[in-house]
This record gives sequence, C-alpha cells and structure tokens, in this order.
Amino acid sequence: MSIVNEIPDKAAGGSLRELLPSSRIVAPIAVLAAILLVWQTGVRYFDVKPFIAPAPTDVLAVLVSDYPLLLRNFWPTLSEALLGFAVGNIIAVLIAVAFVHNRAVEKAFFPVAVFVNTIPILAIAPILVLIFGNGMTAKVVIAALICFFPTLVNMVKGLQSVGKDALDLAQILSATKNEVFWKIRLPASLPYLFAALKIAATTSVIGAIVGEWIGADVGLGALIIDATFNFRSPLLYATVFVSSGLAVLLFLMVTLLERRLVYWTANPRH
Amino acid sequence: MEALKVAEDTGFIPPAPPRAAVSLDRLSVAFDTANGPIVALRDITLDIEDGTFLTILGPSGCGKSTLLRVVSDLVPMAGGNATVFGKSPEQARRGRDIAFVFQDAALLPWRTALENVKLPLEMGIRRGQEIHRSERSPEELLAMVGLKGRENALPHELSGGMRQRVAIARALVCKPKLLLMDEPFGALDEITRDRLNEEILRIWQETGTTILFVTHSIPEAVFLGQKVLMLAAHPGRVKELVDVGLPRDRKLKMRESAEFVRTAARLRELLEEC
Repeated sequence: MSIVNEIPDKAAGGSLRELLPSSRIVAPIAVLAAILLVWQTGVRYFDVKPFIAPAPTDVLAVLVSDYPLLLRNFWPTLSEALLGFAVGNIIAVLIAVAFVHNRAVEKAFFPVAVFVNTIPILAIAPILVLIFGNGMTAKVVIAALICFFPTLVNMVKGLQSVGKDALDLAQILSATKNEVFWKIRLPASLPYLFAALKIAATTSVIGAIVGEWIGADVGLGALIIDATFNFRSPLLYATVFVSSGLAVLLFLMVTLLERRLVYWTANPRH
Repeated sequence: MEALKVAEDTGFIPPAPPRAAVSLDRLSVAFDTANGPIVALRDITLDIEDGTFLTILGPSGCGKSTLLRVVSDLVPMAGGNATVFGKSPEQARRGRDIAFVFQDAALLPWRTALENVKLPLEMGIRRGQEIHRSERSPEELLAMVGLKGRENALPHELSGGMRQRVAIARALVCKPKLLLMDEPFGALDEITRDRLNEEILRIWQETGTTILFVTHSIPEAVFLGQKVLMLAAHPGRVKELVDVGLPRDRKLKMRESAEFVRTAARLRELLEEC
C-alpha cells in the first residue's frame, strides 16, 4: 500500500527522467505509474463506489483539501513515534551493554526479553492503554516496546562482533575494560545498531498508530479509525499515505545519520 | 661459498656477554578442553639473545602460536618459567616491552592508517606511566613501511599487504624490545610476501629489536631467521634449534645460495621426523 501511495509524488518527476538511460530509477517508476493507471481506469471503468475503493485522483484531491486535518493528526503520531523510538532504543542499548559486561545478567534477562517479544503487539496494546490511559504515554510505550527487541539483539551481536585479534591486541596494550568498550566495542557495534535502528524507524510508527487505534482522539491512527467508520475512504487512503510518508521520513533520517557515522564500510567486517 | 665465509666473520663470539631477551625454563602450557586438559607445550627450555631474529617452524598443532602467546602474557603458564628481559611476561606487557603482529592485521576499520598506528599511544597507559616511544613519529613510521601518502586511507581501502604494513608500523610505535609476529604474511601472495620479508629484515637491522617470527614456510624461516626453532607436536616441544649461516644483510637472491638450500633441506628433514 505504501508503495502505491508514493506514486503521485514521484511520477511527475519521473516522466522527465524517462528519457534518461538510468533504468534503476526509470523502471520502478514506470511500474508504479502503470499500476496507478490500471487502478485509476479500473475504478472508473467498473464504476467502483468511492467508499469501497477511491481512485488515485480522489485520494490526491483529499490530500490537498484535507491537508490541515491530516497535518493536525500527523504531529501527535510523529511525537509518539519519535519518543517511543528514543526510549525503546536507548533502553535496548543500555541493556545490551549490561549483557555484554555481565554474562549472568544476560542469562537472567534474555529469556524474559524473548518472551516479551513473542507477545503480539496487537495483543499487548490494549493492556498498555488500560495501564497508561488514553493519553500519549501508552502510545510511546507501545512504540518503544516494538523498537526494543531488534535493537537489543543486534546491539548485543554488534558489541560481541569484535574479532579475537583486536581483543588480543587490546590485551597486549594492557587496555582497560573501559577503553576496550569505548574505542573498540562501541564503534564495532555501530553497523549492527543502525541495521536495527532502520527497522525501528518504521516499526515505531506502526506502534504509535496501533496505540491510537485502541483509544485516542488525535493522531493518524485515530484518523484511520474515524475515516473507516464514516466511509470516508479517500481520507482513509490519504491518511495511510501520510502514515507511510512518516515512516519513510524517519527511515531517511536514520539512513542519513548512518552514512555520517558508519563511514568505514557498508558491511561490517568483524 | 661466500655465504659461508661471511657466516664465519659474523661468528658466534659476541663482543659482550649476551643478555637473554626471552628466557624459557621448562615452560609448559596446558589448555582445558571438553575432553580434559591438553598439553600445548611441554618443558621448553630456551634462551633467546637480545637482538636475535628467531623464526619458529613446526607442524600444525605444535604450539608455535602458543609460544608467542605465553611470552606476551596472552595465555598463562602451566609450569616452568618464562622471563622477558628479566621480567615476568605480565610486567613486560605492562611496561610495553612487547609488541605483537597478528596474521590478520587486526586494524580497527573505522580508523585511518595513521589513527591505527597511533592506537597504542591512546590505550592502556596508566596515569603517570611513562612509555617509550619510537624516535620516529607515527607519520614517519608509516613512511618507513612504504605507506607515505596513504595516512588517511581507511583499512578497507588498502590491500592485504598494505594493511599488514600498517600493523607493523603500529607495532613499532612504542619502540618494543621484543617483536612477536604470528604468521604475519601467511595470508599474502608470494610477491607481496617477498617484499615484506626484505622490509622486515631492514626494520630489524634498523631497530635492533628482538623478533620471534612464527611461520609455516621453510623458505621464509630460513630467509629471515638467524636461528630457526623447530618444534615437534603432541605435545609441543623443542625439536631442534638450527643456526642459519647467512649474513645479517640478506638479499632475496641468497635463497639460491648453497647455505640457504642446505639449511632448508635440513629443516624439511626435521619436519618430516616431527
């Protein structure tokens, strides 16, 4: 759905580029444009009711006309996702550091972390809303929870990814545990951390929206529920488009940060 | 013939009583495994004079690497004793008398060549501890190993041979009295290996540091070593210490000399007996 909804933006610029021989850009845009065209003509040809499936042009029209409404609901979801992203990842990184420094802690807590991760987020969301209420806290907690596990696993793996030779070298140099952590383990973990952060960038948005489904007056999740129950399908589609746009935005921010921080290689070697 | 004559000239009569760089006395090392303890080295007794280039050969499993690792305090002794310049391996390690070059260059991939060379100056130095430093700056050390102009290159931008050169420069930055090298050129192609062999000899002559060099190549062992220590396996023990009668100043073409061929043949015989 998110791919389809990106088209209106990119197809316009794409038509100019079709003359250029860069098939990596042209080919996917051509495919998306074709899907859009089929969608548009299909809806028109079979005279599908807009509340069942709106045409792309209907969605675009709502995107423009209901822009203030969408934006008003965009900000709460953005803050929840961002806060959840920050809280979930920071806790995951700190616990990963504790795991790597103390095997006993890892043995005690890792099974618990696995168990928490096996609970479907949709199942635990209502519980969290009951505990934390209808406000922003529950959404942040859900977003944090959904970010937590992949980052924990990857960060532990990253901190342990240091080669034996590098650790031997540190020992020969009589390096302290602190020096090994800051100068070797932490930088070595960054490629693994960012792999997890890129996942978290999109799942944190899912977490915030799921939280808003359960109970909220504002936010893209609340708007999705509202539009669905009122058969405002073009608005529903437009909201979905904005949601995926939010996830893409967070993903791009993490990717840009990764390019700056993990400059030494695309793939971790050690 | 000429090689033999020079060997007599350099002789075995040093001007002053030699000081042992490394002294091993009935040294044993054991590892605990799932199938009980395994003796990696047994009763190694050996004195290595200061300034020696000693190469270590032996079949796999003979404990060549373990010998370097016990001298550098990476693995503990099970019995006997080892001293490095009269100190325990731990004291020598803390005093930065020892540097180690691994088979894999073990560079930190996020640091440039120059930053990797500087790493020993940024780690493991206790407050107030004076460490010896090479007279050469890290930049000069990189130039010495032939990497002038590549100071800011990241490891993944360098070839395997270049990475190993950076590792050698890093090992020299604290002016070690003892340089341990564990098959440092084992993963390199022959041309690169030849070139680095000549360079490590030049560095040895310039710095006068004692070098223990583990290899699985007989030609490399003969070309580099003043002496070759042959170890036997299961358990690791000294088979023989073979003198190499080549002059200190060696050229690659000496590998065709009679002395070289004779020593290599002798080592191959010993290796078959192990």
